[in-house]
Amino acid sequence: MAVFEARRAGGTFTTLLLILAKDLRVEWRTREIVTSMGLPALLLVIVLGAGHADAASAPTAMWVTYAFSAALGFARTFALERGGLSALRLAPVDGAAVVLAKTASNWLTLLIVQLVSLPVFGALFTEQIWTRVGALALPLLLGGLALAVVGTLLGALIMQTRLREVLLPLLMLPVMLPALIAAVGATTAILDGQPVRAVSAQLQLLLAFDILFAATSLLLFDVIVEE
Amino acid sequence: MRLLLISAGLLMIVGMTWALALAPDEAIQGFPQRIMYVHVPSVLMTYLALGLCFVGSALFLWRGDRRWDRLAHVCGELGVLFVTMTLATGTIWGRPVWGTWWTWDARLTTTLMLWFIYVGYLVVRAWAPGTRGARAAAVIGVIGILDLPLIHWSAILLRTLHPQPTVFRPEGPALPASMLAPLGVNVAAFLAIFLVLLFLRLRQERTLDRLVTMVEGA
Repeated sequence: MAVFEARRAGGTFTTLLLILAKDLRVEWRTREIVTSMGLPALLLVIVLGAGHADAASAPTAMWVTYAFSAALGFARTFALERGGLSALRLAPVDGAAVVLAKTASNWLTLLIVQLVSLPVFGALFTEQIWTRVGALALPLLLGGLALAVVGTLLGALIMQTRLREVLLPLLMLPVMLPALIAAVGATTAILDGQPVRAVSAQLQLLLAFDILFAATSLLLFDVIVEE
Repeated sequence: MRLLLISAGLLMIVGMTWALALAPDEAIQGFPQRIMYVHVPSVLMTYLALGLCFVGSALFLWRGDRRWDRLAHVCGELGVLFVTMTLATGTIWGRPVWGTWWTWDARLTTTLMLWFIYVGYLVVRAWAPGTRGARAAAVIGVIGILDLPLIHWSAILLRTLHPQPTVFRPEGPALPASMLAPLGVNVAAFLAIFLVLLFLRLRQERTLDRLVTMVEGA
């Protein structure tokens, strides 16, 4: 069984990869999360693009879309674990690996949403999004990671709560604000034509945010994973 | 407790009289500047309440003792109370002095987000009762505090409309003594009120817990 192999292989990292592979395999077969995140994201892009749509409004539109997709989607990822993580809890796996794997799978799902929506943003808002996509990669990745880390942490916490789909945006977005401000600032500057070097302050803030909340997730993983 | 109540009342009366009537007028802003004597203590009490909420949350997560959870809960409530007062007094102060009720200045925005985070804390406590909810709320209480340094840091880093810190600076306060003194008295008054509310609510929660245990045990 895969789980016992993890124990023999001795490792948080191996466990992480196994759980991640399992999540991605399930997602590949059901396409549930990508749909529940991707469709609202696409709708949001189009609705926002129907209004005032130019290079100035693009960064805000992008990050509002990503933040709301994350808030909608991440509430699902823990709900999908049949029996509320009990299988994972019973398995002799490191809790930290579970948290990291969940965060990674959430991050990858969000990345897919970001990639799929980029052409649409480019078409509706400004083609700069396509031409500057290389420079945009860093804010997109770091900002997406911030959303994934905070979303996984809070999503796991409220797994058993009533009305969790409503609660997750309410809890996530205030905490995310510094990261979103930094991400929007970086995206604005890059779309304006500035080099990545010029947004180093925002990227540093994003990185600090990511590290801080990843560390918090790891420190509190037993609270997250346990009953 | 009675002593605390009386001193809170006295300090408030002295502090408010001094602030509103006796303290000197500020040269540029005039009379509205006196809101500072309510605004600054509110901010300080917010930090105190949310700091205690953090301590209570962290210790509850570590130890599991219900007393820490009660402290965190009560301080979360007081935190929301004082953040609301901070935002309200700040807004009212801003209108005559800055000409606007609100601005997306870094400090204002992050304080508003702090309000949302701790309202979220209270919502989780309401919607997820029991130990599971208490632990979830405790994690939020811990995360919320990680936002606090960002508030102070952002006020300094980004260009802001909000006044640069004039009291808690490395170089020492920039306020004249004639204003520092009433400010100090008002901070003490607010602190006394904070403690009164804290002990009252803690006693309530303790009694509620005991009642629940008795009813469930019966």
